[in-house]
Amino acid sequence: MSADFVLYCILNTAVVVLISPLFVSLVKKVKAWTQGRQGPSVFQTYYTLAKLLRKETIYSPHASWVSRVAPVACMAAILTASLFVPLVWVTEPYGGIGNIILFLYLLVVARFFMALLGLDAGSAFGGMGSSREMSVSAVIEPTTIVVFAALAFVFKTLNIFDMMAAAVSAGTLKTPILILLAISLFIILIVETSRIPVDNPETHLELTMIHEGMILEQSGKNLALMELSAAIKQTLLMALLINLIVPWGIATTLSAAAILAALVIFLVKGCVLSLVIGTFESSMAKMRFFRLPGLFMMAFFFSTLIVIIEVFA
Amino acid sequence: MTGTLPHREDAASKAIREVLGGDAPARATRGPGGEWYVPVDKSSFERAIPEIAARKFVLISLFCVEGFSPESRHSLLYVLERKGSILVLVRAVAGGQATSVATIFPSAAWPERECRDGFGIGFTGTSDTRRLLLHEPYPKDFHPLDKAFTNAPIVTNDDVPAADEYPFKAMTGEGVYQVAVGPVHAGIIEPGHFRFSVIGETVFNLEIRMFYTHRGIEKLAEGKSTEDCVKVAEAVSGDESVANVTSFCMAVERLSGITVPDRAWYLRTILCELERCCSHLGDEAGMLTDVAFALGSSQFSVLREEVFRKNAELTGSRFLRGMTCIGGVSRDIPRDRLADLAEFVGQLRKRFRVGLSIVLSTPSVIDRFSTTGVVKRELLRPLNITGPVARASGGRVDVRLDHPYGVYDRFVPVHTPIADGDVLARFTVKAQEFLDSLDLIERLIAAIPEGPVQSNEPVRDGYALALVESARGQNLCWVRVKDGRIDRYKVRTASYCNWLAIEHAVPGNIVADFPVINKSMNLSYAGTDM
Repeated sequence: MSADFVLYCILNTAVVVLISPLFVSLVKKVKAWTQGRQGPSVFQTYYTLAKLLRKETIYSPHASWVSRVAPVACMAAILTASLFVPLVWVTEPYGGIGNIILFLYLLVVARFFMALLGLDAGSAFGGMGSSREMSVSAVIEPTTIVVFAALAFVFKTLNIFDMMAAAVSAGTLKTPILILLAISLFIILIVETSRIPVDNPETHLELTMIHEGMILEQSGKNLALMELSAAIKQTLLMALLINLIVPWGIATTLSAAAILAALVIFLVKGCVLSLVIGTFESSMAKMRFFRLPGLFMMAFFFSTLIVIIEVFA
Repeated sequence: MTGTLPHREDAASKAIREVLGGDAPARATRGPGGEWYVPVDKSSFERAIPEIAARKFVLISLFCVEGFSPESRHSLLYVLERKGSILVLVRAVAGGQATSVATIFPSAAWPERECRDGFGIGFTGTSDTRRLLLHEPYPKDFHPLDKAFTNAPIVTNDDVPAADEYPFKAMTGEGVYQVAVGPVHAGIIEPGHFRFSVIGETVFNLEIRMFYTHRGIEKLAEGKSTEDCVKVAEAVSGDESVANVTSFCMAVERLSGITVPDRAWYLRTILCELERCCSHLGDEAGMLTDVAFALGSSQFSVLREEVFRKNAELTGSRFLRGMTCIGGVSRDIPRDRLADLAEFVGQLRKRFRVGLSIVLSTPSVIDRFSTTGVVKRELLRPLNITGPVARASGGRVDVRLDHPYGVYDRFVPVHTPIADGDVLARFTVKAQEFLDSLDLIERLIAAIPEGPVQSNEPVRDGYALALVESARGQNLCWVRVKDGRIDRYKVRTASYCNWLAIEHAVPGNIVADFPVINKSMNLSYAGTDM
């Protein structure tokens, strides 16, 4: 392992942990604006996490070791996955790191632990959340695979590092593919981050919850871990979209100036995407649970189209 | 309070003559609200009930009164309604036993259990002997509404043995599991328990249990002066204070023969309609919140807040409390304030239409609302489902039209019932009623006469029934004054009837749709559990 790669790991992890809460707050802010409210500060998620980390962790009397292990396991899986997606600096990949299939299944590992966590406390809502999450997951997984296959066809590689490097050197993609890919990745982003129309992150109604239902019994540090890992997951999927579709500004060499510039550009692009997510969420109601496959099919269809274009064009 | 049969025969007096027959028409007396009271014995009661049901009467209330009939301590009053006429069958209960009519009038199921808990009256032939008002921790022979019981602390048994626990209907079968929700909910919601039997995501059966915070309102009212009881009536349910206090005052005014000045009735009606506006705005916002369409929801919650502020400006209370009193209203609202209100109403209408067009042009909302939580029309009469819920299922029921009170005979609300019975129908009906209320307020302000706003005629002894249309539907109140004090204050809000509709509306829908169905019915816990 080169020194560059170690440096990349440290830098990438630090960036993703530090900026993820910002994007979460920003989406909330945008949603508040569309409703004519001021909304919480853009730093609110940082304050909340800091507060939760200081708080006591309470376990349900029905909880087993799963409740103690799962938040950490979840965070570990997500942090490992974060190494696969370069945010500001693309270096040479090392070993299996950067493999897009492995990336997908690291996210699935986190989801697996989260679903166990939902069941473990023995509350009806957690079980309902887990069952729904698993149903959604079973339907979205083939779609995600096809979207990632489309990426692999477009960039002729399975490695995210190479994809981004290719995107940076090639500049903007051909327009139709660009649009189709952007829509597909955006749908994956919405589904994976439990946002409207799939799930409602702001609801207090336990009966309608998916993601929130699973973490309903969490408190203190464990809740902070779950919240932060969800935020990081969102940033990773946002980065995948941003750095492949609008790749300008990513640092390809190790220099402080280039990385700083890349960071600023990434932040700006991330803020714009948060704005888009917030507006998108505000523009519609949550779908009926059984209608969700229709949304996933869009991503599936568009990605299949990309594959066809790439193979035959 | 004796009277002769009127010149033009209404459905109630016709039923008295044709169904009860014999000397019943001679024994019938007319209450000051136009309702007919007929004492009936056991055999003629049992014979008459199926026939009265066949005549499409709706049992709108059943309650027990002590010391009403000379022949026995307890009397059951069966309040039956049809086409604007009301028949009250007075059944003197001998030996604490009465016949259950819940199989013929399903709307008697809760009241019968309530009479048993409150007075210790047993109902023969009933299929449901579970407790209603007073949950298991209360002692078994504790019947607080009985006059023999004086208010005092009681010892509750907090460790209920498993055998005495409340049995929910057991649903068994492959893949059926139970989801228990409440009585403690997320958010600021009152207590209620919902027992879902679910197959996958689909609700197979729903059973509700209420009455977790019984306040003893009816007992509390007894022995109070009528003025003091006004405050009790206002506290029955926070967001329908005006409706409940109006019905209480109407009942007292009727039994005392007090004539309320015209201007007071105009003001009262404005208050009633303002209350309806707040309630409907809250519902529209709530339904949209529950399908996660915050953009639409905020349009209505902002307007609701503005109406609340306008309320506070007009009356000093966001919930319009402290205005309605016996004989009229406690103070006048000056002309300039009313003109200001008329202008506000005009703006409100415009902004509501903007919000409504946003919602109705969002397909994802329409998709969630339509075919969700259907209340079938067949249920309206048996369960006495009232208000916007009934009107969204094709029912043409509205107390303001059926039993016009105050100035509603001159200011008639306009309805366009929708027959679909789903959440979308309730959303639409409430939007129409909101706009109609605004029209009524404008017309009332334009036509309001000058004059006094309170009558100072004295309160007399007697009893009377009053019905009003609250935002949620038909609210009933029966008041008996004895020696200048409240002897019995029976209040039944629309929520008490409509709660049971949800048990029929939810099955077949998915669990995640329950909140929006619940919100579309806007059921009050406090208005049910007094």
